[in-house]
Amino acid sequence: MTDQSKRIKDYFCKHTTRCTIEGVKKSKRFVGHDVLKADAWDKVTGDAVYPDDISFDDMLYIKIKRAVHPHAILKDIDISRAKKVQGVVDIIVAEDIPDVRQFGLIIRDQPVLIAPGEKMRYMGDALAIVVAETKEAAKKARDLIKVKVEELEVITDPFRAMEDDAPNIHPDGNIVITHHLNRGDVDTAFKDSAIVEENRYQTQFIDQLPMQNEAGVALYDERHGVVDIWAATQWLHDTQADVAQSLRLSKDQVRIIQPTIGGAFGKKEDVSVHIHLAIAAMRTGRPVKLCFTREESMITQSKRHPITIINKTGVDRDGYLTAWETKFIGDTGAYASSGPAVVHKGMYHATGPYNCPNLRGVSHAVYTNNTYAGAMRGFGTAQGAFAYEQQMDILAHKLNMDPAEFRLKNIYKKDSITPNGQQLTHSVNAEETIKRVMELSDWKGGRK
Amino acid sequence: MQITLTVNGEQRELEVTPYTRLLDLLREDLGLTGVKEGCGKGECGACTVIMNGELTASCLVPAPQADQAEIITVEGLGTRDNLHPIQESFVEAGAVQCGYCIPGMVLAGKRLLDENPKPTEKEVRYGLSGNICRCTGYAKIIDAVMLAADKLAVEGSDSND
Amino acid sequence: MMRKSPMKQESRQTISGVDFKEYFQPESIQKALEIRAEYGDQIEVAAGSTDLLVANYEKLHEIKYWLDLVKLDQLKKIEVIDNELHIGAMVTHLQLMKSDLIKKNLAVLAAAAEDVGSPQIRSRGTIGGNICTSSPAGDLLAPLLSYGASFKLQSTEGERIVKAEEFFTGPKRNSMETDELLTEIIIPLTDNKREGSWIKVGRRKALVISTLTLAVVLEFEGEKIVKAGIAMGSVAPTPVRLKGIEAVMVDQKLTDLDYKALGREVKASINPIDDLRGTKEYREDVAVDVMVRALKEIERKVSS
Ligand SMILES: Cc1cc2nc3c(=O)[nH]c(=O)nc-3n(C[C@H](O)[C@H](O)[C@H](O)COP(=O)(O)OP(=O)(O)OC[C@H]3O[C@@H](n4cnc5c(N)ncnc54)[C@H](O)[C@@H]3O)c2cc1C
Ligand code: FES
Ligand code: FES
Repeated sequence: MTDQSKRIKDYFCKHTTRCTIEGVKKSKRFVGHDVLKADAWDKVTGDAVYPDDISFDDMLYIKIKRAVHPHAILKDIDISRAKKVQGVVDIIVAEDIPDVRQFGLIIRDQPVLIAPGEKMRYMGDALAIVVAETKEAAKKARDLIKVKVEELEVITDPFRAMEDDAPNIHPDGNIVITHHLNRGDVDTAFKDSAIVEENRYQTQFIDQLPMQNEAGVALYDERHGVVDIWAATQWLHDTQADVAQSLRLSKDQVRIIQPTIGGAFGKKEDVSVHIHLAIAAMRTGRPVKLCFTREESMITQSKRHPITIINKTGVDRDGYLTAWETKFIGDTGAYASSGPAVVHKGMYHATGPYNCPNLRGVSHAVYTNNTYAGAMRGFGTAQGAFAYEQQMDILAHKLNMDPAEFRLKNIYKKDSITPNGQQLTHSVNAEETIKRVMELSDWKGGRK
Repeated sequence: MQITLTVNGEQRELEVTPYTRLLDLLREDLGLTGVKEGCGKGECGACTVIMNGELTASCLVPAPQADQAEIITVEGLGTRDNLHPIQESFVEAGAVQCGYCIPGMVLAGKRLLDENPKPTEKEVRYGLSGNICRCTGYAKIIDAVMLAADKLAVEGSDSND
Repeated sequence: MMRKSPMKQESRQTISGVDFKEYFQPESIQKALEIRAEYGDQIEVAAGSTDLLVANYEKLHEIKYWLDLVKLDQLKKIEVIDNELHIGAMVTHLQLMKSDLIKKNLAVLAAAAEDVGSPQIRSRGTIGGNICTSSPAGDLLAPLLSYGASFKLQSTEGERIVKAEEFFTGPKRNSMETDELLTEIIIPLTDNKREGSWIKVGRRKALVISTLTLAVVLEFEGEKIVKAGIAMGSVAPTPVRLKGIEAVMVDQKLTDLDYKALGREVKASINPIDDLRGTKEYREDVAVDVMVRALKEIERKVSS
């Protein structure tokens, strides 16, 4: 590593990441000191207990039979052969749990099990919960479950989903939610701009890929009517409330115990193993364990939203942003998850850290038959950053202006107002950051 | 079928089946849950153990193939109160976040230093190339292995003197 | 009641859901061949198991019969017999990259072994497994082709020697019969000066299935090329040896050759497809560049 890149790295460590560094002004207790992580000792010795590490005597293993098609009506599910596998204790299908309600982070649109006559909407939908004495028996039985379906059009593109003749994935249509943003007089500002640049950007699905897959164990205390679930979640109390409402229990009948989590990055905001574990524990009266494979985790749990971003940006002759119009179309997949918030938040950050007086925006979170998308580091803003920084580079080029200077002209300062009207009253160091990067990188105006 | 193997210095005789992976055997039959499963397909290194002196993905070893093997898991290095220098370095360098990759990383670091006590950064990267970490970005893990090399060098020179 | 170590062992043994019948771990080749003859395609052969366990992930319990070669110590040797190098099928990638015999005589093979997977894979994966899996992307296969390797296939009926370029018949298909085992890889040695180059193109430096591989091995008498072995992986349904290009190079001085033109010849002789790892177009373009790079590298080695 060259000295220069080392300096840049140190600088970023100090200003943007979670690394500890030397040489910062020290407070008396923690700030500016190296603080050793409290649970590091457990983690370097293998003592730390992650969900999959917990077991009980007499424990049963769960495997989930999942959708066989991304968009189809379940006609029939036949578990007769599966039930005969030696070691199978219970196979739970939708008709066994008629009172169980749908769940979901923002909109409760996810079924616990798909019933005959209902639709599977992506490959991760659960059709049956297989409970057995061994993992092998559970897998074998799962693979013996026979399913008949009526296939429907599979929608993988949100633009197709928004067309009038597209089949509805959910009863209320395919646009989950629409948000608007309006400030100033965009049309006049565009008219008065020296340059107006419009481009379309597309981001892709990304799996958060925490190292530990979704996993958990559960235990039912019949005497007190309480189910204990050891499984990871990023929203302990929301998960508890969602599981409780789904199972029609009171919250104090659902205890969620958070073991050590092997990473999450947004992926563990959604309910994963929890409800299936609780149902199996309550029906069998025995401790149960459910661990996803990596493949199952990828198929079943959330992703970063692919977002189509259409940005139209105006500047005046001096290089000041005049107007910004944006459209965010986020593919939230089969279920809403955090989608309504993610796509909407992405739009509010459409201009990044740059001042622009006239704004207009619209965002749609749209259902498709893809794996559902939810939270991932940045919550919609990472997608937007790709698009607005490209806009800034293209505009600088057209203005024949140093892209760093162009950014400095427009950068947020103290008292700047963000698109959703928030006034930045303190700690606005974006300008300083750009200047330091220019200095540390010996910035020569974008020329070699 | 019966196999005999040495795990962390202790000889064990176990009844196994071939559809049990060494990973399952260690975690479930022997309770060594420091061995983690991240992918089950050899890609991530979370299940790393040292088998007959070499780094091995325990998710790719059918249990009977571990007959007569000598296995070291992270539990065999040091305890909370008496950490192995490599474990100590991971704590001190701030190399641990969620911790799921750490047992494998610690073993990969140890195996590297056993063979090459003064590795360059490039050699550390090659030595750890079978282990994925999703939290740290690796910088501090590499620092930790380098720190451990220094610690072990000092220890080594002490005992030689 | 909660404990960190679960699973009563007997429950795994007795409770069903499994098709498992028998696990064989013979200690002699003869015994292994007899078992192989008896069970044919019913039995899964396990060497280092790195391909086998991935292919059967989540369904190991469905395997009925296993033939484990791990105790066949005769297959773990690397020896010189009559000016030929004999490599046992159970030799691991790690052994290959560390062996002085291989590094000295078959540097391109050693370099390829060093690029396989990760330390965790190289310690277990074997040359025999790499050959028998017969993936067009198997990293050892192009080097074996360019060294003119042959494979010894044994059965209870006897043995036959098959040339590497005749062994591979399609993606993951080969000419081994279901009663045969691969026991040895045989590579001719030479007193001539041999120089070569290995290039693996992939998306990461470790744990990556090759987008394209190239192995070039040239044998010199003085400055003249007397033998050329050029082979590629991941550019056709099988690893391929580019004999047409070899012929152009023989009897020439390396420095008299037009590297770029040879690169274009390489491009014209391969038949890649679009897949996850790269497009046909990408592979064709890269093929030109890697050929030029390989020849420059050999030129450097020869002149130093
Ligand atoms: C994470 C990961 C990364 C990998 N990276 C690479 C890579 O970079 N490059 C690469 O080339 N490969 C790679 N591989 C594939 C694999 O590791 C290699 O192909 C390896 O050499 C296979 O050898 P093995 O001994 O493990 O084979 P096994 O899995 O034991 O066997 C593979 C197949 O060959 C048959 N077989 C094995 N030996 C014999 C024999 N002597 N006679 C008859 N049949 C036999 C088996 O029946 C089986 O069908 C990777 C694999 C994994 C899991
Ligand atoms: S679990 Fe073995 S390498 Fe990922
Ligand atoms: S610390 Fe979380 S994966 Fe490495």
